Amino acid sequence: MSDRSHVLPAPEGEFFETNRFAGLSLICGAVGLIGLVLSFIGAFVSPVQFSFSWLFAFIFFFTLCIGCLFWTIVHHVVDAEWSVVVRRQLENIALLMPVLAVLFLPILLWRKYLYRWMDVPLGVDAGLDAKRAYLNWGFFLGRAIFFFVALSLVAWLMRSLSVRQDRDGNPRFTLMMRKLGFVGLPIFALCLTFGAFDWLMSLNWHWFSTMWGPYIFAGTAGSSMALLILVITALRRAGYLKEVVSIEHYHIMGKWLLAFTVFWAYIGFSQYMLYWYANIPEETQYFIIRNTESWNVLSWFLVIGRFFVPFALLLPRATKKSVTGICCLAGWILCMQLLDMYIIVLPALHGTGVHLSILDFPPLFAIGGTLAFFYLRIVGKTSLFPVRDPRLLESLRLTN
Amino acid sequence: MITPSGNRVYGIAAEYPSAAALYEAAKVVRDAGFKRWDVHSPFPIHGMDDAMGLGKSWLSAVVLIGGITGLLTACVLEFGPSWYLYPLDVHGKPTNFWTVPAFFPIMFELTILCSAFSAFLAMLMMNLLPRWNHPMFNWDRFKRVTNDGFFLVLEARDPRFSENEAVQLLEKTGGQYITAIHEEA
Repeated sequence: MSDRSHVLPAPEGEFFETNRFAGLSLICGAVGLIGLVLSFIGAFVSPVQFSFSWLFAFIFFFTLCIGCLFWTIVHHVVDAEWSVVVRRQLENIALLMPVLAVLFLPILLWRKYLYRWMDVPLGVDAGLDAKRAYLNWGFFLGRAIFFFVALSLVAWLMRSLSVRQDRDGNPRFTLMMRKLGFVGLPIFALCLTFGAFDWLMSLNWHWFSTMWGPYIFAGTAGSSMALLILVITALRRAGYLKEVVSIEHYHIMGKWLLAFTVFWAYIGFSQYMLYWYANIPEETQYFIIRNTESWNVLSWFLVIGRFFVPFALLLPRATKKSVTGICCLAGWILCMQLLDMYIIVLPALHGTGVHLSILDFPPLFAIGGTLAFFYLRIVGKTSLFPVRDPRLLESLRLTN
Repeated sequence: MITPSGNRVYGIAAEYPSAAALYEAAKVVRDAGFKRWDVHSPFPIHGMDDAMGLGKSWLSAVVLIGGITGLLTACVLEFGPSWYLYPLDVHGKPTNFWTVPAFFPIMFELTILCSAFSAFLAMLMMNLLPRWNHPMFNWDRFKRVTNDGFFLVLEARDPRFSENEAVQLLEKTGGQYITAIHEEA
């Protein structure tokens, strides 16, 4: 019920003109390709550094994509109205999951450098032998295949149901997507939690944390909301969604950024404090590496940059209602997510201090460029928002 | 304003058939320049604060002050004894500022507690609660406000209030059962 309620979008929706952005698509593809070539040159020069740098870049983009899948699912599960106009972009980004599955292959091929437990023979390490039922190559591979197949399937089903509703507006699709959401939510939770165990926590098989899944999830949800804000703003800059997405939607997305900034700090601190207080060597080893030498500087920077700065800036309503303000913070939070993943992955290789390698960059361009290239392919195929969703009108008239 | 029977009038009220009608009526009353008036509905109506021209509530400022008070209280109560007054070696943890991780939970809890209390108390004050009765309850139809009734009342203490103008304004906005509400039963 706002003054804009009389503005109704055209029934055929709004389409992204892929031809208009053919140049951008070409640049993204070229960046991805050059990144891939440089990465694989690096892979033969320094396979150890390459494998860690690739994992770091992969996990950053993986959290962004799976986060968008999470937001798609959760909005259906709780029957959210506000998110209808931005939901198609979440669906588009989540559909990049099969591309990520292909980009996961280098991790499988260079696995021996990343996951040292694969090389330890039976009977050498009692701690590892106790975990062999879970930590073994066959199960590891099976899980990875399950994660990507299940996540891709949910993402593809979500989007195809939503696209079919664009044609006839049948509310049955909304109910089907909600039911799929009920199935998809536990699948998402299991895949993210055990993916985080497999790919990140097992870098050091002695160490364990029961907060690891929620910690990765907190960063995932916050940073993918930041990505959504930037994608929506980029589309608006290009002249799309002008009458559809309003400052009220930005306000809500800003509230989510604030919520997950606090949640990240809450989970991160809970994980840290219990280990700091109990002070058991087996548990503190993870933090000792990251809180000494030059890693300590980055850890402090992360705590201040991922929590204190965005928290203070996002608290006033004025920031959340300013497109420039919220976009600056969204970009900042994405940078902090990158730093968070860096501090998780690279100390497993450079335990004595920060060692920024030239090889840390090509994988970022390779994966980022490739994903952007495929995103630009997907985005033009359908209307930029679910044009016949039964709740579209409520979303357009949003006030909060 | 006094009625012929000697009762003081609280205001002139009208009932509306739907939330949408009440919302549109509120915009008209806002634009007519009234300041002392209110709407009543069984559920919160999105955007009503804008339609009534209420502006930003000062509740958030109270909550911020409450939260900072809680945070500072926790800091004083924790750092005071553990750092200055009676430093104790517990688990080999430092007795200076760097024992702060152990204190965060208390800081967090007291911040939340004081914010919540200040929000609750300020909400009561802003709504003039608690009170035993409200003049609106002197109107029989108003009982439907917790079920399916949507009401708008122009209060007599508004400087712009006059009986004829109020009735005309409510009629213009489509109000039904326009009634003068007495202060006393």
